[in-house]
Amino acid sequence: MTLAAVIMIFVSLVLAAFAAVTLWWTMHAWRTPETLAGTRFAPPDGEQHLTFSLLLPARHEKAVLEHTVERLLRSTHEGFEIIIIVGHDDPDTAAVAHKTAATAPGRILVVTDHNEHKNKPRALNTALPYVRGDVVGVFDAEDQVHPLLLEHVDHAFRATGADVVQGGVQLINFHSSWYSLQNCLEYFFWFRSRLHLHAKKGFIPLGGNTVFVRSDVLRRANGWDGTCLAEDCDLGVRLSSRGAKVVVAYDATIVTREETPHSVAALIRQRTRWHQGFLQVLRKGEWRRLPTWRSRMLARYTLTSPFLQAFSGVVIPVGVAVAIWAQLPVFVALITFLPVLPMAATLMFQIVGLHDFGRQYDLRVRWHHYAKLVLGTFPYALVLSTAALRAVWREHTGRRNWELTAHVGAHLPAEAAA
Amino acid sequence: MTVLELERTAPAEVKTRSHTDLYVSVGLTTVVLALLAWNITGFPTASDDEGTYLAQAWAVQHGKGLAHYTYWYDHPPLAWIQLAAGSWLPGLIAPSLLAVAAGRIAMLPLQAAGLLLVYVVGRRIGLPRWAAGLGLLTYGLSPLFLTMGRQIYLDSFAVVWTLAALALALTPRKHLWHFAAAGAAAAAAVLSKETILVILPAVLVALWQNTARSSTRPWAIGAFASGLVLVGGFYPLYALLRGELFPGAGHVSLIGAIQFQLGSRSGSGSIFTDGSGAHELLQSWLYYDSVLLVAGAAATVAGLTSRRLRPVAVAGAILIVVALRPGGYLPAMYVVQVLPFFALSIAGVIAWTVTNLRGHCRTAAVVLAVILAATVVAPRWYVGDRRALTANDNAAYVQAAQYLRAQPPSTIVVDDVLWLDCVNAGYPEDRVLWFYKLDLDTEVAARLRGGWRDVDYIVSSPAVRQDPGTLPTVTALLRNSTVIASFGPADGVIEIRQVDKEPS
Repeated sequence: MTLAAVIMIFVSLVLAAFAAVTLWWTMHAWRTPETLAGTRFAPPDGEQHLTFSLLLPARHEKAVLEHTVERLLRSTHEGFEIIIIVGHDDPDTAAVAHKTAATAPGRILVVTDHNEHKNKPRALNTALPYVRGDVVGVFDAEDQVHPLLLEHVDHAFRATGADVVQGGVQLINFHSSWYSLQNCLEYFFWFRSRLHLHAKKGFIPLGGNTVFVRSDVLRRANGWDGTCLAEDCDLGVRLSSRGAKVVVAYDATIVTREETPHSVAALIRQRTRWHQGFLQVLRKGEWRRLPTWRSRMLARYTLTSPFLQAFSGVVIPVGVAVAIWAQLPVFVALITFLPVLPMAATLMFQIVGLHDFGRQYDLRVRWHHYAKLVLGTFPYALVLSTAALRAVWREHTGRRNWELTAHVGAHLPAEAAA
Repeated sequence: MTVLELERTAPAEVKTRSHTDLYVSVGLTTVVLALLAWNITGFPTASDDEGTYLAQAWAVQHGKGLAHYTYWYDHPPLAWIQLAAGSWLPGLIAPSLLAVAAGRIAMLPLQAAGLLLVYVVGRRIGLPRWAAGLGLLTYGLSPLFLTMGRQIYLDSFAVVWTLAALALALTPRKHLWHFAAAGAAAAAAVLSKETILVILPAVLVALWQNTARSSTRPWAIGAFASGLVLVGGFYPLYALLRGELFPGAGHVSLIGAIQFQLGSRSGSGSIFTDGSGAHELLQSWLYYDSVLLVAGAAATVAGLTSRRLRPVAVAGAILIVVALRPGGYLPAMYVVQVLPFFALSIAGVIAWTVTNLRGHCRTAAVVLAVILAATVVAPRWYVGDRRALTANDNAAYVQAAQYLRAQPPSTIVVDDVLWLDCVNAGYPEDRVLWFYKLDLDTEVAARLRGGWRDVDYIVSSPAVRQDPGTLPTVTALLRNSTVIASFGPADGVIEIRQVDKEPS
């Protein structure tokens, strides 16, 4: 009994500390009015000095590709080219790509990826030798990009002397389902707040799109890791540990808008891939080269969070159940409730966040959305835990799936040519 | 080289400014604390409530739960849990002290924090340094503070936590975690003494004002609410885990206790009715210090009109309104909650007058204030403070405790002041019985199989004799016992009485 009590106390304290630290970092941007002002981005000066190569990997995306390119072409910036990457086994998308390219000759280039096993990093690496711009930007085929974005990013590069600029991405369809509401808020807190902390501390897992890297820096880093499930995170870690300067350009008016996955199963698959990717990045150990102990700790913490999340999502409810039903001493039972404190505070801040999200994006948030948020918190935690456990399990059993496992560590022919 | 550079780049002005505040507040606090500590064992008379809270702190220290008898949720326990952290120390250093006197020494760090916080809150509501210092001194030199600030009251804990919540809510950096801490401090205040709940609106006013035109206001409010609810929630959670949240047969309950406190407790009448308990209480407070109460009430009303003073004035005003409500219950230590807010309102109104008047009016106001201070305040406070520094009102208790220490342990009925002295002297803790519990706690009554005849001694103090006839076992003990030693003057005599076991 005593041993059980000691274990309960220890686990509770660890979980409480984990949740408290996560909350502390999540709330970074709103710490003081000054930090919030610091995350705002200076408006562009109207000058255009840089040229952009915008990479647009498209795989089975014929439905949305045309629209996305059309929006990109509306950009107010003069100096950019679009490189659409299509697979050799995907003639439908290729046809759409070529048709679209014909509308803006000289602006749009279509590159065909001949890799047998297709994935996003390999597609990006295929395009890298064709890049002519000073800066490489990455978008997904379904992204809604704001016409002013490139001007902002141009200014951001020049004003800060950055090597990498991460733009904001925001899921917008919070009204679609109970989990999309949670998913949208996750993005909101991540891009509005947490990412700024990472940029400040010198360790940043980059996002998958609306990310801009100076072409020379990207080439020196050998492009993307074609074997990694989270190539974006990996690139961020590698660039951070090489001392690249990363800034976050967030402005609600120019974020890239996206949609949440279409089902819970799709969400779990997507999250499993990210988590597994994080674990791969952790194992690669590039983060050990980060300059300071603090940033290494931050890296280790951020990359291990899938494990911790899986752990806490399962253990906290079990702990609370044990505390209520088992005949634990009251003192021990009270301690098992400690992790609930930061969890409940997180929920409180999410309610405030939903309100702020609605104001920033001019969306009507109704009372039933708040109710959905509160009621959906625990099921969503279960979904995330499922994904995290799944990622840990798959990584443990070596299922680094689809087209990836065959060529671990192999570099692409296109990259070698570069 | 680098060190020199660092020193040179540090802005000298900021450094001196923060240090002046530190010196002023710590200096004044030290003076007041010295006055508070001087003769803390001799004045005022040890009260039964002090003994109760101290005994409960003892129970916490010794792992016996939240009280030395069944804890029935009469008050939330945080105050004596805090007291337990410090009350063991003075007795260790000076074992001959009366237990209550030793416990009072443990209150001094708390009161020091309270004095410093009065200064900090004063500065954060925009008072100049001299006015914040004036607020501290008005609070600290009041004979009411020098009397009740020495005693072991839950209200002292609650008021210090409330001041902390105010200071945090008024944080100049507007840091999110300061607001969360303000909420947690407010919860700690309520868990120290539940009645402080009524002045939480004052903290909300401070929070609202401090985040006005700030981009982070909704987040600040969320942080405050989180701190308040999550820390405060542990008390009902404790009750829930013990199965004592809801009323039921055969056990105490939190909700049952709240129902009792709100509904069944008999009121102490209106302050305006001659002869009512509340009226007598007000008279006794005015006897100690009419200056702070009268001037403070006036300044509170005036302070409501000033934006900067409003958080403090709202706290004072709510406390006035609660005290004036007819038919409610007014405890003796209620005034402890009032004092710092009245003192800050007085200092605030004086500061406002001095800074806003010009020319002759200003000179006249300053002269008038000085004359009033010299002719009205100083003589009254001198009398009150001198009494606090010189009176020796606890001699009888000290002698009784010495006598009991020399006796072999036995079954003894005492008031709560002497309870801990007996237990410390080696009496078995379950054979030292608080007189009140003999008739009101079935668990205690069950310890005496033979009824009152199982008791060897009863110590009759004014508290035991207070309501003659209401407690049958105590009445029987007093009737069937003979005095073997008595201490103190006739009106406050403490008698050690041996119980005559054979019917006379």
